[in-house]
Amino acid sequence: MLLSVRDLQTHLHLKRGVLRAVDGVSLDVAEGETLGLVGESGSGKTLTGLSLLRLLPKGSGRIVGGSIKLDGQELTTLSEAALARDIRGRKIAMIMQDPMTSLNPVFSIGDQVGSPLRNHDIARGAALRSAVVDVLQRVRLPSPADRLGDYPHQFSGGQRQRIVAAMAIGCTPRLLVADEPTTALDVTIQVQIINLLRSIQADTGAGIILITHDLGVAASLCRRIAVMYAGQIIETGPVRAIYRSPSHPYTKALLAAIPRLGAKRARLTAIAGQPPSLIDPPTGCRFAARCTLRMDKCAEAPPNVTLSDGHSAACWKLV
Amino acid sequence: MSGFFIRRLMQGVISIIGASIIIFVISRLSGDPILMLLPNDAPTSMIEETRRNLGLNRPLWVQYLIFAQNALVGDFGNSYRWKMPALKLILDRLPATIELAMCGLLFSVAVAVPVGVMSAVHRGGWIDRIGRVFAMLGQAMPAFWVGLLLILVFAIKLNWLPAFGHGSWSQLVLPAISLGWYPVAAQTRIVRSAMLDVLDSDHIRLSRALGTPERLIIWKYALRNAAVPLLTMLGVYFAAMLGGAFVVETIFAWPGVGRTVVEAVFARDFPVVQAGVLFTSVLFVMSNLLVDLSYGLVDPRIRNGR
Ligand SMILES: Nc1ncnc2c1ncn2[C@@H]1O[C@H](COP(=O)(O)OP(=O)(O)OP(=O)(O)O)[C@@H](O)[C@H]1O
Ligand SMILES: [Mg+2]
Repeated sequence: MLLSVRDLQTHLHLKRGVLRAVDGVSLDVAEGETLGLVGESGSGKTLTGLSLLRLLPKGSGRIVGGSIKLDGQELTTLSEAALARDIRGRKIAMIMQDPMTSLNPVFSIGDQVGSPLRNHDIARGAALRSAVVDVLQRVRLPSPADRLGDYPHQFSGGQRQRIVAAMAIGCTPRLLVADEPTTALDVTIQVQIINLLRSIQADTGAGIILITHDLGVAASLCRRIAVMYAGQIIETGPVRAIYRSPSHPYTKALLAAIPRLGAKRARLTAIAGQPPSLIDPPTGCRFAARCTLRMDKCAEAPPNVTLSDGHSAACWKLV
Repeated sequence: MSGFFIRRLMQGVISIIGASIIIFVISRLSGDPILMLLPNDAPTSMIEETRRNLGLNRPLWVQYLIFAQNALVGDFGNSYRWKMPALKLILDRLPATIELAMCGLLFSVAVAVPVGVMSAVHRGGWIDRIGRVFAMLGQAMPAFWVGLLLILVFAIKLNWLPAFGHGSWSQLVLPAISLGWYPVAAQTRIVRSAMLDVLDSDHIRLSRALGTPERLIIWKYALRNAAVPLLTMLGVYFAAMLGGAFVVETIFAWPGVGRTVVEAVFARDFPVVQAGVLFTSVLFVMSNLLVDLSYGLVDPRIRNGR
């Protein structure tokens, strides 16, 4: 297994208290596989991604438990220097949510795309320039050689996301974490970026974790999906299994919330009620308060039930 | 950008005209130069004669127009006291003032940038706290006071550095520090808050996620962003240095424009005062224009005329 996360716990130590943003997350990503991490806003998707790189909010964020193994190497105990040198940008790269703010406004894109290559000693001097042109060609930025000296504001949103992708794939990382790479873009550009991610994966064989709350995007890119709710993964399985027979009431509600008839995009907003506070969360099932099938047993933490090969969900109804 | 630049140039010209009127009127309110030029017992006829020769008997607005017309071709008249062209007197002293102002500015930036950066990086840490104490001290100590303190400690008590004069770098140290002291606090705050903003931005997060060493993140990728607001202020600070130079040059007997003008004020040497102040305001405007240009060098969005 390329990436193997077990019982990951990430806490944010805030003034209000300890926020259990990621609370016992386990997931696997195989080489060349795309895993979709889906869930409502605030469910802890981004912090799960950032935990893999140990780039948590300075001062407050800490991984307090669990293990992250990349190609068998444990990352949670690695030193900060080793992480920066060998992991971040080298073996795991992350693409952030908003292409409009993800590029440094006062450095040329040539410098920025070249930066990971320089920092990880992949290329220098003239070789660096041609490597930068090459990677920009791979993300299909038009006439890259002429535009190395241009600045981010001279590119469109879609082009900027391509540039960000070029920065991320420059050192051919083993794992790409794409945090809502299309959310800020309009529909046609979204399709282009999705196709780009597909072709990057075909080229490099990288594993991808695609964080999204767009089920359409997840379905079109991923083989497997993990559904996250209030800091936990409540259902995971192959895309087909999840779409055909969603098992957790939350997943069912999510899918039911997708408008029918040709509407490709859906936002995960249409479920009544609010997710629980992650400071002092309920001890039992975290979805119970919003669940129409709630039982007395739900006051205890539900077991993870295996339903079929690779498909499991955490709900008392399934026991 | 050219439209923006021309607009700034026009504003500059208007400022200079304004400054020339103000200084012209104020210097004439300050007293009658004739009484300083002639012996106390000079006969009235001689006083009238001199007044006519110097053109001081005409109405004030006529005097101003003549002054402005001549000033346009660089003629500010002769110094009453030194009997040489006032402009030449100023120009001769100008390099010393620019030298001092540049070194003062250099000192303030050289302190403010690292302290501001480190205060932001280690927010709430000891550098941040000490920086804050110094910021308060800086604001509470005017240039002349700092100057006198420095002379007392480093020139008189410790005898490390000369207290006055001009020529060697050691004579430059104390005046440059006195001049650069005051703006350090404000500049540190500008750099600190700009750095805090930048370090919390998405592009820095991406840089970190891609393994950029922290040293480069701070001193390269974040600092160039954080430098933009400081740079926009540098013209203002350089101008403040020119203003502060009037005091500091007098304290340290620095042979610059400031001291010359201060002496000319006491001597009611109008042509020199006018030439000096007008020249300083031209420098003031020019330094602001230069900053508008260098701002574009740092921020590509402005360079490309967004
Ligand atoms: N820097 C921070 N300081 C305080 N709380 C934070 C911080 N970052 C995240 N959180 C909290 O941690 C929880 C998980 O946040 P996270 O960003 O991982 O959610 P997400 O699933 O990515 O949401 P979205 O879809 O809106 O991006 C949320 O409750 C959020 O409010
Ligand atoms: Mg997020």
